[in-house]
Amino acid sequence: MSTQTISKSSIWRGGNSPFKVSYGKLMMWVFLLSDAFTFSSLLVAYGAIRYSYPSTELAQIESLELSFAENVQEKFAAPGVDAHHGEHFIPALRDLDVFTELQWPSPDLVFNHFPFAHGLHLPLIFVSLMTLILILSSVTMVLAVEAGQRGDKKAVSTWMLLTIIGGFMFLGCQAWEWTNFITAGATPNANPYGPPAFAALFFGVTGFHGFHVFSGVVLNIIIYVNNLMGTYEKRGHYEMVEKVGLYWHFVDLVWVFVFTFFYLI
Amino acid sequence: MSSHSNHNVDIHDEENYDPTVWVPKVESHGTKSLWSRFWILLGLTIADVVAYFAWPPGIERNVFFILMGVLKAWYIVGTFMHMKYEKKSLGYMIILPMILIIFFLIWMMYEGNFWNSFK
Repeated sequence: MSTQTISKSSIWRGGNSPFKVSYGKLMMWVFLLSDAFTFSSLLVAYGAIRYSYPSTELAQIESLELSFAENVQEKFAAPGVDAHHGEHFIPALRDLDVFTELQWPSPDLVFNHFPFAHGLHLPLIFVSLMTLILILSSVTMVLAVEAGQRGDKKAVSTWMLLTIIGGFMFLGCQAWEWTNFITAGATPNANPYGPPAFAALFFGVTGFHGFHVFSGVVLNIIIYVNNLMGTYEKRGHYEMVEKVGLYWHFVDLVWVFVFTFFYLI
Repeated sequence: MSSHSNHNVDIHDEENYDPTVWVPKVESHGTKSLWSRFWILLGLTIADVVAYFAWPPGIERNVFFILMGVLKAWYIVGTFMHMKYEKKSLGYMIILPMILIIFFLIWMMYEGNFWNSFK
């Protein structure tokens, strides 16, 4: 019976898995590769359209003399106008030709809000927090996978629940970010900060990513409920947790590049 | 038809491979490396934020941010997605096409810059 010296899994003639992974996991990897192509096409479109506009001149940003955690509402309000009502920042910068249809807005001047810090100039801080939330939920997911490898049903439940909470927190942050951008007057074909393409790409790419996060949370909830009902205990392995985990980490991975291209560059 | 309910099937048996149920045996690699990767990713994100405020915008800073993104992807795919424990052939199948995409991204940025000269 065991006279052969070559493992059957090392040959490519069918009837085995040369990659030594299950069919489901291999197909998840193939799906993720095709999904990565989709996101790549969105980011390639972003790169091409973004560099078809000149960047905001550094001298223009420096002339505003904005410093971290400064009250921008008061600084840019017209005399006699209550700075705590309405948005003064955008019209003032449109007057100064910083926000025009002819140049790409600096993300520094667009995404500079933070909850409960109304009117303060806090660029990059909120998206960094969102990145932290998503990385943390990736860690809890991989801890659920590790618990599954040990067959620890209770630990899988705990870590999956934390992952689901992390997913909802991220979606909440994204809803807040979108609300800010929309109330400032941005739509898929209008943008008070500059070229309409900026808003279209922002809604397109972060919307597509947010929809992936939402689908991931739904899948995580299904896995969580299945685990509570003992489905994986009966099956004898927790590979389903790992497969959905791959999808969840992919969503985190895409966010790393959305963060890099939309907010840092 | 449903082999899931057949308790006589050994789901780990490589000699009687049944793609509907077969899974390789897995073992835990511990949680220590997972938490160390979390601290690395947190550190890289903080380094991004520090670089954003300390370094004036320009091509060098953009290259730095993209390299940091690739480094973060390396840790996420390698440890969190278990790629370093998989067979190399699977890794090449997934990672090589993505490396080629990077060239496409750079070419299209140059192309976009060329459109700029027509405006």
